[in-house]
Amino acid sequence: MHKKKLFTYSLKTYLFTVLTLSAISHLGFAQAVPDLAGVWNGSPQARPVNSETVPWGEDNFPKLNKRAKAYQEVWEEIMAPKYDCQPASSPAIQYDPYHMEVTQWPDRVLFRYEKDDQLRTVYLDGRTPTSKDFSLQGFSVGYYEDESLFITTTNFVFDIAGFDDYNGIPSSSQKVIKERYWREGEDLYVTVTVSDPMFLIEPTSYTTRWVPAAPGYKLSAYDCDAESSRAMVRFFPSKY
Amino acid sequence: MIERVFNLPSLLCPMFFMATIAGPVTAHHSATPFYDADKPVEIFGVVTKFVFRNPHAALFVLVESEDGETTEWQVEMSAPVMLKRLGWTPDILTVGTEIRVSGPSSRAEGSHGVLGRRLTRADGSPVLKGGRSSDPARSR
Repeated sequence: MHKKKLFTYSLKTYLFTVLTLSAISHLGFAQAVPDLAGVWNGSPQARPVNSETVPWGEDNFPKLNKRAKAYQEVWEEIMAPKYDCQPASSPAIQYDPYHMEVTQWPDRVLFRYEKDDQLRTVYLDGRTPTSKDFSLQGFSVGYYEDESLFITTTNFVFDIAGFDDYNGIPSSSQKVIKERYWREGEDLYVTVTVSDPMFLIEPTSYTTRWVPAAPGYKLSAYDCDAESSRAMVRFFPSKY
Repeated sequence: MIERVFNLPSLLCPMFFMATIAGPVTAHHSATPFYDADKPVEIFGVVTKFVFRNPHAALFVLVESEDGETTEWQVEMSAPVMLKRLGWTPDILTVGTEIRVSGPSSRAEGSHGVLGRRLTRADGSPVLKGGRSSDPARSR
């Protein structure tokens, strides 16, 4: 009888402890992981369209070193690889006026961009890039904290127009992109910070937002067509 | 059927001015290196080809000049991925359709290009029934 009571007491204590820890753990998880999943609209409904002064304007335009300025000297718009359908990369792709879809898995977050059919994978499991992991979109790792997703992306390949679509600023394999994503009401926000000691004197950043896509909206295939992409190149009066 | 090309003084054309301040059509690249906003042009002719592919739809229009010579103009438009959201389709502008287009003209000497800021059918109606004529892809 005594043993039975002791067993019952132990079982109750065990269950109480397990359930309490589980609840605390679950609560902590819910607080730390924001719900970023869904299809997001980055069109003019959400923010001004990108241009020579957006999102890099008077206050945050990058301070370029001499090397970057030398590149700008020889730069011509038609040198941009996008006219051969090379996709945009960070920090430009986050500001393109298109839709994107965010999918949150336990060990990673997937960013699918309608522009250029790009997929970025952000690993949350602590893995690190190898020497073979260089790519246009780089290698992204992240973690959740304070209701936000923090991402660091490295291992970019050199891109002669890798900073934005408008100012002829290159980016190097030393480019590092830091992002913080969070929700405010229905909207999704990000602060993107770029550093690249090869071309920028100091890091700079912008903050922007997406609004929820229309109900039922699905991303369209972009299928960039090289001929269409280069169609206007012949209208450019080259200095060379 | 085919009309001549004529230049429009920008200060005398409020519609063009409104379109110009609206910004780039495609958000894929700056329009300024390719098109001169100070040299707007209006063309009227017939569609010979409509390429509905990203990153830019391209419309080709056969235009007859004052001296009777015909020239094919290339009209740059928004990304189909944006146009589709407004209801545009690849067959909305079929070969032979009469079309009027205005916008900044291309910069390279001897080229015949225009950034399609405003497109209307021959009767002045929008290309898309119930749609806009100016910067159609920028309404959403």
